[in-house]
Order: sequence, then C-alpha cells, then structure tokens
Amino acid sequence: MEKLIKKLEEILETENLDVNKKFQDYEEWDSLAALSVISLLDSDYGLPMKYKDLIAFESIKAFCEDVLCRQ
Amino acid sequence: MDFVFKNKRISGILTILPKKTVKFEDEMANYSFSPAKCMKLKLAMGYKEHRIAEPGQCSSDFCKFGLQYMFDNNLIKKEDIDALLFVSQSADYYMPPTSNIIQGHFGLKHDCLCLDINQGCAGFEIGLIQSFMLLEQPAINKVVLMNADVLSPKVSDQDRNSKPLIGDAASITIVEKSNDDTTIYANIKMDGTGAFALNIPAGGFRMPSTAETAIMEQDAVGNFRSKNNLVMQGDDVFNFVQREVPPMIEHLLKQADVDKDWADWYMFHQPNKFMLHKLADKLGVPHEKMPANIVENFGNASGVTVPTCISYNLGDVIVNGSSKLCLAGFGVGLTWSSVLVEMSHLMFNQIVEF
Repeated sequence: MEKLIKKLEEILETENLDVNKKFQDYEEWDSLAALSVISLLDSDYGLPMKYKDLIAFESIKAFCEDVLCRQ
Repeated sequence: MDFVFKNKRISGILTILPKKTVKFEDEMANYSFSPAKCMKLKLAMGYKEHRIAEPGQCSSDFCKFGLQYMFDNNLIKKEDIDALLFVSQSADYYMPPTSNIIQGHFGLKHDCLCLDINQGCAGFEIGLIQSFMLLEQPAINKVVLMNADVLSPKVSDQDRNSKPLIGDAASITIVEKSNDDTTIYANIKMDGTGAFALNIPAGGFRMPSTAETAIMEQDAVGNFRSKNNLVMQGDDVFNFVQREVPPMIEHLLKQADVDKDWADWYMFHQPNKFMLHKLADKLGVPHEKMPANIVENFGNASGVTVPTCISYNLGDVIVNGSSKLCLAGFGVGLTWSSVLVEMSHLMFNQIVEF
C-alpha cells in the first residue's frame, strides 16, 4: 500500500496524502492526473481501470485496497 | 487473423501535408486548463505544432495534388493503375465513392478497381493488406493506395483530449507485384463491441446533423463538444492499446519466426509520445527504434501517421538501401493490425506540401 500511495502523492503533487479523501478533492486532480493513475495501474499492476471507476471510489483508501486485493 | 504474402513490394511513398502550421500555445486559451496545466499536458503528450487543412480543403484534394505530382514527375503512369484505394473517414460525399471521383478527375482507365475503405488509425495496414490481396489477381499489377484524412473541422476547439493532436494529411503508396519472394507477414484484429470508443455521433443516417446536434455540451472533465464533433474515450483507448498491441506484435514476430532485433524500425501509429513510449517499454523495444516525433511536428492524421513516419524518419534511406520494418496501427473500429515487411530501394519516399 505504501508504494502505491507514494506514487499517488507524486501524481497529485502532495507530501501527505489524506487517504480518506477522494481523488477529486485534490486540486491537482484532473484528466491528466487520471491518465497518470490509469497508466500506473497498467504498468505496475496490470490492471485496466476507467476514469469513471476512479472517481466512483468513496476514498483513496478504498481505491488502494481494491487495487491491492485484485493483485 | 493472420496473412502471408509473397512477390509483392511497396515501391513508393509520397506524404502530402498541409502548409498551415498551428502551434499548441496558440490554442491553449480554448481549453479549460490553466496555462501551467496546459504546459504539463504539452510535455507529457509531446505536443508542439500540427498541420491543419485550410477551410474547404478536403482529403481528396490532398490525394489529387499528390497524384498530379506523381504524374508530373513520372513516378507512375496513369495507364498502370489497376486499382485505386481511398482509405479515409472523411469522404467527400455519402455517394459517390471518393475513389471514383478521383479516377474521373484524372481520366484513369475503366479497367481500374476503385474502392473506398472506411478505416482510421489502422488504415495504412488495412490498406496494404487489401492491396496485397488484390495483387493476387492476374489482372492487377499495380495498386495505388491513398490514405487521407481531414478531420480537424470535426474536432471541437475546446476539446483538449483531441484538438492538440489532430492533424490533416494524405499519403499515396504504390504497391505492386515483384519477383522478390521475401515473405510479408501481417495480421488484423477487430472488436466492434468497442466501436464507439472513437466516434462522431451525428452527421450520418442514424443521427443526421441538425441545429440540436450542434449544441455545445460540457463533459465530465471540462471539455466542450457538440454531437457533430469527434469524441474519444481516452481511457478506453489507452487501455485497449496497452492490452492488445504488445501481444499482436509478439504474435507477428513469432509467425515470422524472428525476434525483436529483426526489425530495424517499429513504425507505429502516432497517437501521442506518452502512449508510444509505454508501448516501446512494454515490448522491450528501444525508444529510438520506435519514432514518436509525428504528433509533435505534424499531428495525428489517423491512417496517414505511419507513412508520414516512414517518409519523415527514413526518407532516402529506403530509396538508396533497405530497412526491415514492423508497422502497426490501432484505433477506431476497434481495429488493430500489423505488418512485417522489408522496404528496399523504393522509387521515392518523400514529403510534399499542399
């Protein structure tokens, strides 16, 4: 989980990611950040995900758990 | 679906680009992104400038200009054209076929098969495979393959998904019979369940263009489009390309019983630099063997990007010598296709401007 969170911090340009927030709560969140997350999921986790899946998670924590349990 | 061909060759490629250049910075203000965000987008995707047709210029006009250039420079004789293929998503009319209009314009012989093919990003590979199949016939010795698209008028100025990358262009490739018995390997795959990943909703018979379809609407991420505009589901396309293209190339190489080093160049369709680098990494091909410089310099003109990539990056290299190429196209349809071919001593391989 830590590795994934670190990557998300890079994408969202923040040092202390609040995992209880949603992606769209972050100012840096936009379609380009979403593509970075989609691309990360593809290259590091072999997991296809759509934009609307990402914004449907109730929190970043829920997203991370979903990604890791589908590993 | 696999294909194998023998005794065929590509003998010339002419790429025709619009003179008009538009810089990314000139269009930035239209997007719902801050200037800083726009620069980030530019850097990640490799956008710089793109070539756009003047209002009123259709894809067939670029083909006519290119063919006239070829006749004037004795690159082909009118009477030698046994088939004229027009691969495009921007035909002049619903009817008649654009290839027939071009045949009539030049007064080509009646024993000439004119064929319009509606294909986009994989249009060069599909066109080549169709040309090779036609050349199996005794009556057909030379095929003129035209790839052309002028889609920029269909893309909304306020669509940062598609506007910065769209380009207009045409290419004309001569494909003919040859004594060279080197095998050409190719494949095509299609998945119509993803047909709407890239589409223009209105303007066909299903949804004719009306005042209502011209109304601009905002999407979930702040782009404005009408139903008359081209729309791309970027995430679907990204996932599709990363999932399907690497195994297709692995399969093609296996079919030919060669390894990745066999190909000197991986000339792929050019969606953007980001996706091409991802593909190269996934395939384990060095970035310098997969040029990704077409979108930044000219834009993405769907099926014309691969011939543009060959003309721009190889030029006289395959006129004076030869190169082994792995070609691939992927996109609208969904269609993905690849061709493994050695291009040797072409009569011409160049870019002209119209």
